[in-house]
Amino acid sequence: MTGGASSSLALRLGAFALFVVFFQIGVVSEVPVFGVNADVSSLLVAFVGLMCGSTVGAACGFAVGLLIDLTLLQTLGLTSLVFTLIGFWCGRLRELRDPQGALTPLLVGAGGSAVALVGYSLMEFMLGVDAPVSFELLREIVFGVIVNTIVALPMWFVTRRALEGALPDDPRRRRRRRSYTTGGLSPLTKP
Amino acid sequence: MYDKTVRRRRAVLALLVVLSLLLLTAYFGEAPNGRLHSVQRDFLTVVSPIQDGANKALKPVRDLFGWFGNTLHAKSELAQSLKQTEKLRRELVADQAEKRSYRELISMFHLDQLGVDDYHPVTATVVYKDPNIWYSTVNIDKGESDGVRVNDPVINAEGLIGKVAAVVGDGAQVDLITDSSMGVSARIGTSSSTGLLQPKVGDPGDLELQYIPSTAPANVGEYVVTSGTVSSEESLYPPGLLIGQITSESEESGFKTVNVHPLANLHNLDIVQVLTSGAGSRPEQLSRLAASLPVGQSSSAGSGEQLASTQVGG
Repeated sequence: MTGGASSSLALRLGAFALFVVFFQIGVVSEVPVFGVNADVSSLLVAFVGLMCGSTVGAACGFAVGLLIDLTLLQTLGLTSLVFTLIGFWCGRLRELRDPQGALTPLLVGAGGSAVALVGYSLMEFMLGVDAPVSFELLREIVFGVIVNTIVALPMWFVTRRALEGALPDDPRRRRRRRSYTTGGLSPLTKP
Repeated sequence: MYDKTVRRRRAVLALLVVLSLLLLTAYFGEAPNGRLHSVQRDFLTVVSPIQDGANKALKPVRDLFGWFGNTLHAKSELAQSLKQTEKLRRELVADQAEKRSYRELISMFHLDQLGVDDYHPVTATVVYKDPNIWYSTVNIDKGESDGVRVNDPVINAEGLIGKVAAVVGDGAQVDLITDSSMGVSARIGTSSSTGLLQPKVGDPGDLELQYIPSTAPANVGEYVVTSGTVSSEESLYPPGLLIGQITSESEESGFKTVNVHPLANLHNLDIVQVLTSGAGSRPEQLSRLAASLPVGQSSSAGSGEQLASTQVGG
């Protein structure tokens, strides 16, 4: 990835992340669905990891988490830590498996949301926050994952659209494309 | 080349994780007026105008989403409201007769020294709501420059909403009554016995009124209000503010625990009022006292209210 492409991606990502965070706390968190709120910020981090790789995913997760912690006066570093790990793991998924299925955003969104909700709850418990441990919390987590899974597909398209043109070229995909277009490696072209 | 990429990837991850842990440790360990807390408040001061602008710009979108939800609930709410109106009308007639004698009693026992009249309501708009299930807080667009102080009670047309937890120049954070850090001295409408109202463990949307004597009457549907300052037990909240309605009750060890559903729709707050108090007034002195109490590990100054509830009688 060239320097120009990197800065273009960073600029787009920064602007889009800023918009998503303010949209999350200004609109999405005001609209409860099944008694819970969707969390598009964790979806954003997961999808950036899936599109841009582990390093960009982790950096994006850290920045988005820090912005949320700062804006909402929460424990600084908590959301950053959880989101960094989500961004990194989704990026590794892309680098190791490169999933291309149509349901990939749904599964990644569900997984990312589950990790965010469970990870955040565990961290809060470890920090000794006096909060209810109950069926209600479990219900909130399960419904949170379901709602995020519903929102995942539109969020995937919006993220893809916002970052389109600045996304890094995947080496695996490039290799695969070349093998079928040059003819050299396709078994069909061999005599 | 591959090794270099792997090394860089691992280094970035390690750096970000370590940075997060350092922030977490430093923030959690420092006092509420520490450096990181100050940075956070300064950041809020900077983004407050942006939040305000974004809130206004995104309001139509929020209203659109809200409209769908509200329409779905409107029908069931209408039937419920009609029933409630009928009930309230009957209660109003009875209450009007009691009102005169109540006023006389209050002035006789000097219990009205911390009434709502001692406060200066500041109308504010909710600009953000914390989406996290672990916190029940909202941010409002009025702050220190409008006279808002930490621990000021916050209400809306439906009743008590919460209290100010942190304040900056043009904004403030409000802990809702369902936040785990909250505790309000309250009583059942028809009873004189007071208890401590706290969020219900296991159901963050509901409240529990504890330490009510088992002999005190508590009927489902009755209203729960702030008790205000009663004899030597002082409170941050003026008396008589509506909080919620009783949904059920249980009894244990000579005390009654009453489940209370908040009257205010805390999921959909728009306009609220902060009950500010003038410098040197009794409410202001109480707020200062509550804020100066030793706080626990919670980041917000709000935990002082909980202590105030038990120590000052809040």
